[in-house]
Parts: sequence; C-alpha cells; structure tokens
Amino acid sequence: MFSLRDMFFISMLIQAASILAPVFIGGQRRASALAHITLVAGLITGFISSFLAVFFPMAHTVGTGFFGLPPEYFRFDPLALYFLCVVQAVAIPTAVFSYSYLEHYIGEGRSVKSLYVFFAGMLIATQMVVTINHAIVFLVFWEATSMSAYLGMIFEKEKKEVQKGSFYYFVMNHVVIFLLYIFFFILHRQTGSWLLSDFRVVTGNSGLTALLFLLALAAFGMKAGFMPFHFWLPRAHPIAPSTISAFLSGIIIKLGIYGLFRAFQILSPAPLWIGWLVLVVSMITAIFGVWYALAQHDIKKLLAYHSVENIGIIGIGMGIGFIGSAYANIPMQILGFGGALLHVLNHAVFKSLLFLGSGVINNNLGTRNIELMGGIVHKAGFFVFLFLTGSVAICGIPPLNGFVSEFIIFNSFFTAARELKEYYPLMMLVSAVGLAFVGGLAVACFTKINAIMFLGTQRGETKPFHVSAYDYISLGVLALLCVVIGFCPVPFINAVNNVVSGIVPQGGAELLNINWLYITVIFTLFSAVALAMYFISKAMRKKFGFRESDAWCCGYNRLGPRMQYTASSFADQINDIARAPLGYHKKGRAGEGIFPPSSGFESHSADLVDNRIIVPGYKKFISLMSAIRLPGNTDIRYYVAYILIMIIVYSVVGFLWH
Amino acid sequence: MENVLSILFCLSLLYLALTSRVKHCVNVLQAQGIILAVINTLPLFHHFTLGEIILPAALLGIKGVLIPFYIRKIITDLDIKDPIEPTIQQFTFIMLVITLMSAVFVASGILAKSTEINIIPFASGFSAIITGILVIIFRKKLLVHVMGFLAMENGIFLFGSAIAFKLPVIIELGMLLDIFVVVFLMGIALNKISTTLSGFEAAQLRRLKD
Repeated sequence: MFSLRDMFFISMLIQAASILAPVFIGGQRRASALAHITLVAGLITGFISSFLAVFFPMAHTVGTGFFGLPPEYFRFDPLALYFLCVVQAVAIPTAVFSYSYLEHYIGEGRSVKSLYVFFAGMLIATQMVVTINHAIVFLVFWEATSMSAYLGMIFEKEKKEVQKGSFYYFVMNHVVIFLLYIFFFILHRQTGSWLLSDFRVVTGNSGLTALLFLLALAAFGMKAGFMPFHFWLPRAHPIAPSTISAFLSGIIIKLGIYGLFRAFQILSPAPLWIGWLVLVVSMITAIFGVWYALAQHDIKKLLAYHSVENIGIIGIGMGIGFIGSAYANIPMQILGFGGALLHVLNHAVFKSLLFLGSGVINNNLGTRNIELMGGIVHKAGFFVFLFLTGSVAICGIPPLNGFVSEFIIFNSFFTAARELKEYYPLMMLVSAVGLAFVGGLAVACFTKINAIMFLGTQRGETKPFHVSAYDYISLGVLALLCVVIGFCPVPFINAVNNVVSGIVPQGGAELLNINWLYITVIFTLFSAVALAMYFISKAMRKKFGFRESDAWCCGYNRLGPRMQYTASSFADQINDIARAPLGYHKKGRAGEGIFPPSSGFESHSADLVDNRIIVPGYKKFISLMSAIRLPGNTDIRYYVAYILIMIIVYSVVGFLWH
Repeated sequence: MENVLSILFCLSLLYLALTSRVKHCVNVLQAQGIILAVINTLPLFHHFTLGEIILPAALLGIKGVLIPFYIRKIITDLDIKDPIEPTIQQFTFIMLVITLMSAVFVASGILAKSTEINIIPFASGFSAIITGILVIIFRKKLLVHVMGFLAMENGIFLFGSAIAFKLPVIIELGMLLDIFVVVFLMGIALNKISTTLSGFEAAQLRRLKD
C-alpha cells in the first residue's frame, strides 16, 4: 500500500509528464488531448489520496516515501492537506474545461501549446506551495506559481490592455515576494532553521511579533487581494484566459489565505489590535468589493471584484479568530477559523464555476460587456441554470454552500458577543449587519448580471451559442459540489473541524455542536416547497392559460433589443449612494418632445485606489527617476566609464577605510 | 605554478588591449579560458575528488571551446573583418591599462598584509576586470564589447580562486551558465541588429533610443 507521500509524488510526476505531450507531439489537437488526459489522471490520483486523508483522517499514513527526498521538506498536516484537497478539487474541472477552451483557440488557428504548459505548470507549482515545508523552496514554488500564471495571462499579448494588466500583476507579485523574503529571513535569524514547522518567535517579544504580523498581512494580504491592495485583481483577471483567471481567482489568491494561516501558526497568539485590524480591513474589503462589482460592466472584472468581496468575508472569519486568540478564547477561534476555511473551499468552487461560465460566454459572444448580452437562456437553458447555481451560492442564499460558511461566520459574531462582554456585543452587531449588507449587495449584483445577460433578447449582433460536453461536465461538477456542500455539510464540517484543531491545539466541538442535520432537513423541505410551487404554477398555467412575453417587455408583446432594461440603469440607484468612494459618475441625456430624437445613459466607475494612488504615484515615480540622469551623452560606453569611476572611488574609499 | 599561470593571464590581457584584430581577441579569450581551467585543476593534484572535476571540465568546455566557437561563428556569419578601431591612441590606451594594472598590484600587495589572499592571482583577476571595462569604454565595435565583458568574467573567476575560502561549486557553475547565456543573447542581438544597422558600433545604438 502506498503512503500518502508516495501518492502525492506519483500524482506530481504524472502531472509533470503531461507537459511533455505538447513538447513532443506536433499536432495541436492530439497534443492537447493527450496532455489533458494525463493531467486529469494525475490530478485525480492526487485528489483521491488527499480526499481520503482529509475526510477520513484515521485511515492514512503519511509515511517517509521512497523518492529519497528529505522527508522534513514536506509537510502533510491537516491544513496543508485541506488546501491541497481544495486545489485539486478545483483543478480537475478547470483542467477538463481547459480542453474545450483550448479547442476554441485551436479552431482560431492559434498555437496553444505555451498556454497549456503554463497552465499545467501553475497547477503543479500551486500543489507544491501548499505542501512545502522549507522556506526557500516555498518561495521558489511561490514564484513559479505566480510567474506561470503571469505567462499564461499574457497569452493574448498583442492587446494593449493585456500588457497593462499583466504588468500590474507582475509588479505586485514581486513586491509580495520581496516582503516574504524579509519575513522568512527574520524568522530564520530567530530560529536558525529554514523549516516552516520550526519557525517560532520568542514569547514576550511583542515588537517583533507585531512587525512579523504586519509583514505577513502586507505580503499575503496583497496576494489575497485585501483592500487597499486589491487593485491588481480587477486589472489582471479580465485579461487572462478563462482557465487561468478561474484558477487565479479560485485558488491562487487563496494561497494568501494559506500563508496567513501559516503565519498565525508561527506567531500565535495574535495581538488584539491585529485582530481588529484584520476585521476592519476585511469588512471594508467585503463591502466595497461587492459595491465596486455592482458598478462594473465587464463580466470578468465584476467577478474579480466579487473575489475581493469573498476574500473580505474569509478575512472577517480570520479576524474573529485572531481576536479570539488574543483573549485565549477557544470557541471564537474555532468558529472564526472554521468559517474562513470552509469559505475558502466554497469560494474556490463557485468562483471557478462562474469564471469558467464567463469564459464560455466570452468565447461564444466575443465580448465581456454585460450590456451587449441578453437572451442566452433561450439558447442554452441548462448552462444558464448552472451559472445561476453558482450565482445563488456566491450570494449566500440558503440552499447552497455559500450560506453554510457565512452561517458559521455569523455564529462566530454571536459567540464573540456572548463570550467577551464589554463593548463586544455592539461591535459584533455592527459586524453582523455589515456582513448581511454584503450579502444584500451581492444579491443585487447577481440579479443584475443574471437578468441582463440571460433574459430578454440579445443586444448587439445575434450569434449562435454553443456549449460543449466538456464545459457541461466541468461546470456541472462544480455546481454539484455547491449543492452537496449546501445540503449535506456534515462531512465538510468534520473535515474543517479537523483542520482547525491543528491550528487551535486545545480543540473544542463548537463547529460540531451546531445541529447541521436541521440544515439538511430545512433545506430539503425548502427545496421541496419550491419544486411543488413550480409544478403548481405549471399546472395552473395549463389550466387557465397564460400570456407569454419576454423579460423586460413590461407587458408589451414585441421587444426590440434597444428597448430593454440595462445593467447600468439597474445598478444606478445603489451606486448613487456611494458616489465618492466608488468614483462613480454618469452621463445621461433625455430627449424632449413627443418623439424624442435620442436619449442615452451611461455610467462608469473608477477604482479609488487604482486611480488616486497607484496610477498617479507610478507616474510621479517615473518622472522622478527620469529626472535623475547624467547630462549629455547617451552612449553606452560613457555609462560603463561612469561605472569604472565608481569602482575606483569605492576601492579607494574602502582602502583608506581599511 | 598558480602564480606563473596568473602572470601569463596578465600578459594575455595586455595582448587583448594591444591587438587590433578581432580574431586574435578570440584566441586570447580561449587561452584565458584554458589557463583558468588549468588553475582550477591544480588543487586536484593534492587530493582528488570526483565532484570537483566538474568545474574545470565545465570551464574548459564553455570558455575554452563553446564560447570561442560561437564568437568565431558570429564573426564569419556577420562578416566582421575590419580591424578594431580605437577611439584614443593605442599608446595612451596601453599606458592607461598598465598604470591601472600596476596600481592594482600595489594595492593588493598592501591588502595582503591584512587579509588572506594570494597576491598575484588576486591582482591578475582585478586587472582583468579593469582591462575589460576599459576595452568596453574605448572600443567602438559591439563584438569587442562582448570580449571585454568576457575578460571581466574571467577576472572574476580568477578572483574566486585567489581568495582563501572556497565558493561553493554550484555558484561557480551558475556563473558559468550566466556568462554563456549572456554571450548567446548578445549573439542573437547582434544578428538582429545587423539586419537594420550596417556597422556594429556602439555609437549607432543611440539611434535605437526611443
């Protein structure tokens, strides 16, 4: 019987072997098919073992493995296994989707081999990141993940926006890795070891702990996309191919969360102010993330802002956990961290579902602009149903998985209010209202996109809508996961509880004490009632007859594409409330007279951080740097001469110093 | 023995500074590569380990065979045959080189009193760096710049063997790879440039500035 470690390496080798196919096989289609089959086989091999290890923790042995690698370089504790399982669970449908997605590009006559190689490299490196225990190797794979995502992102590099957005991502990643170097080097100096599991901070050194926490928050937070470091997400996600952006949004930003959990394990207990900092920042991230999303017209940009929102929700859970650890309060930590961890899984599932769905739409309609879509439900009903499932899940509406994790986070608020008296009940009430507000805005946002994109008739030119079997398989698997976690959360709660007891060693049964069976029963009843109502309405229609007309028709019979409601108008009222922080401005003109010649309405939103800080700051920096230059010549030989003069000056100074 | 080879290395630098033929420059570099390989082989006579033979072998392979071969190929491909035109008088240039070289030797003599270094290899390495930079500054041809750069890198290698503590083999191998890649890229760049600019002179690169 293979041990877990062996299975992991075997799966890695199979996945790595898949890269050989595009290298050695000439034909694009054959190479793509063989590569994807190998990749999915490797992923499934790994997934089976990590799934068994997470969900049946008693039944596996980690083992030392026969591959001769130093065993201490890898870490298969519950946290690593949980993230590994999440990565692989999302990677499998994404890889299946990738096949039909690449098929689309092959049809256009593009060479897709590079995209495949970077996609597979990204999957492999990500799985390594979450299992590596050696700090330097961790950084190497961290960089490999980021850079293969970057190289995949610039697939359509001839477009101007791609060059710009990928540059944001590139710079952001290097800032992150620079901060991580400092973080790990300080820890190495403290302990003399390079192993993540050996890193400790001397208790009582609160200044150092605070510094390290801030470094970790800045570095991992930037990767995860907490505000105000979220600016790269809405730039980078829309331009990437859908397979890359689904994985980027579903998994790679979660690596930031993984890093934060690791940092907490090293540095715990967190200082109280760190807990509050994380909670407040996450609350702002969640609220403004979703609000920005509401103001977008680009489907992928909108989904990117929703990633920001969901990272905020995960952060809220972590913040509660940090506050709990400052007070040495076990229930708060368990519920906060548990909610955050489950939301990591949930968000990974439904966000990749939505991103892959947006990829299908983009490929078919050739646009990402919501205002130009419409009427997809008449062409691909089941696809719309799957997309709708993801939408309902991301809003946290009861029967699906988003609700379960948000429910745990709400629970953690009330636990905090109960356990810590003082001013906490009020604060937690505010937080609960904030989180509920986020949910409300998310519902508004997804009502907007589902209604405008799918109902009514196609705006702009009409095109056929084709969804391949592979698309249905990958989207279907993800949608099924949403439903399963929602209806039957018990095994997932058990798994999360196991992970949390690795982070909070004292342990407790708060997660298990919630009676999850009620949720299953209530959800089943709820769905049964909904189904019953659907059938009743169908029967009534049959009996009494009904008048059919398109959505947005307002009761009229024939609908022209230009008469429909638009996404801008839909979101206008809510966006108007927060005009300043959203950078929201609009332009409308109403025609006059009985037969008005023309009237129009448009709205735009500009990211505050991006437009007010990053872009002007970057311009200022460039002008400052280009002001520093040696007068006169631009010949390279003069520069070399300057270098020589500097070397001589340094040598002389060093000599005299000696 | 190491000292003798280092002096030989130094003399080859003077020839590099003096010659006005591109092909002779390549020969000098090849000779330097072989000298370096021999210097790195010397410690193996005292006690032999199989692992440490990798570095001299790689040196010989890359600096002694691969890079000269590649540069010669570029020379024939791009049909560079005219002599190296100096920007200052040859006499001034050689005086500059010799002055700086002697300064380096005196300086390393003083330095050796406080630090553990082998004076002659150390000073030769340092002179190679300085000569390399001077060649880059005072020559017009881009290809000669590459050779100045290679002379600098040779100097750094000699430097490494002159200091008392040993650099890990992996770092030196990494350096070797770096050099090879740089030369390779330079060759590609030169090939590209040759299609748009006729001469291969650094001054003309100014036109590429945006």
